[in-house]
Amino acid sequence: MQTIQKKGLTVKDLVTIGIFSALFLVFALVGGIFFAPNPVLTFYMPVGSALLCGPVYLLMLAKVQKRWAATILGAIMCIIWFVTGMHWAMALGYLIMGIVADLVAGAGRYRSKKINSLSYILLSLGGTASYLVFFADPDGWAKTMLGNGTEQSYIDTMRNTGTTWILVIMLAGTILAAAVSAFIGCKMMKKQFEKAGITK
Amino acid sequence: MKLHLDPRTKLFLILLCVLSAMFAPNLYFQFALVTLIGLLAAFSGKWQYALRGMIAYALICVFTVWCMGVLTGTWRTMLIAFLGLVHKVYACGMLAGLVISTTKVGEFLSAMAHLHIPKKLTIPIAVMLRYLPTIREDWHYIKDAMRLRDASPTPWGFLKAPAMTINCIYVPLLTAASKTADELSIASVTRGIENPKPRTCLVKIQMRSADFLTMVFFAAFLAAEIVWKAVGI
Repeated sequence: MQTIQKKGLTVKDLVTIGIFSALFLVFALVGGIFFAPNPVLTFYMPVGSALLCGPVYLLMLAKVQKRWAATILGAIMCIIWFVTGMHWAMALGYLIMGIVADLVAGAGRYRSKKINSLSYILLSLGGTASYLVFFADPDGWAKTMLGNGTEQSYIDTMRNTGTTWILVIMLAGTILAAAVSAFIGCKMMKKQFEKAGITK
Repeated sequence: MKLHLDPRTKLFLILLCVLSAMFAPNLYFQFALVTLIGLLAAFSGKWQYALRGMIAYALICVFTVWCMGVLTGTWRTMLIAFLGLVHKVYACGMLAGLVISTTKVGEFLSAMAHLHIPKKLTIPIAVMLRYLPTIREDWHYIKDAMRLRDASPTPWGFLKAPAMTINCIYVPLLTAASKTADELSIASVTRGIENPKPRTCLVKIQMRSADFLTMVFFAAFLAAEIVWKAVGI
């Protein structure tokens, strides 16, 4: 099957994407759940998710090396987040960043490790989308949270705690965590998977 | 008698549930939504699932009411922000879990084919849903293997030997995943997944009266929420 290089995605590619999406989801959840139960750290959930998924994403790209792989991954994540009732912005963020990540990785023809790492960083930023919406419109977010009109003190405290520096830390942290994760992923690929003949 | 819904109905229910959770005007409606899902689970023969889900949610609700009444200041804000997220996710997560555990992969694929959703999206999703339990199984084996090598699969072990722990977790999981991908694709090609002809399925996929009835229930719930909101504000 590998000798006839088909142009589009083969069934093998689709199955690979499916399996790696499952791993991606599990690692994203594990990374996120570590932060989610602690209310103070909820804002750093994208950081935790970004920290764990790098190797999975890089190995998937290395195995498929075709257009649409990252897009499909992003689309699946979008559907999963939407179905589980996450904030719509997070789902949309993954979908959009999936497409962006795909285009970026495509610029390196899915082979350059540096460009693949960059595309992973971009994909991770998709997870921050719902918090971006929160910072863009805290009142609206707070309102939709418990449905009925929020009290003044609630909005005041939220303005005080949810200041811009949390936003900066969240974005910078996500980028940093994704970069570390991608770096570990690259090293792991070189040390383990290329030797084992898993990647092409 | 067990309720057996069409996968398309289930998808529509999920959409309605997401909207209902989004529009829910207060906690009572959230709880009613979870109860509705619990009833659906019970009718589908998942008594334990329904009971567990509803009790856990009742506890969360009590905790929320306590937070709203007793706490003040920063902690209140943080906890309410967090609980808001939990309330949003809970109902949908419960329904999604029910749908995944009651739908067979074959049914899912053929319902998707009926809806004309491209195979490029449905195959990865079907594979993913099937693979999730396998990851859990693999994880138990990996934990055992790690203990054999004195690498402990806990946060403490990670702090003691980070590089070793990372390798011990990722390498087997990813290797197993790519092996499985190869084997599964061979298996599915053998079973004719590349066949360009329309897909057939042994289980007859069709909408029955129960499907329509369930959909009407959930849609009515959503409508009630919207009406309540329009009247209340």
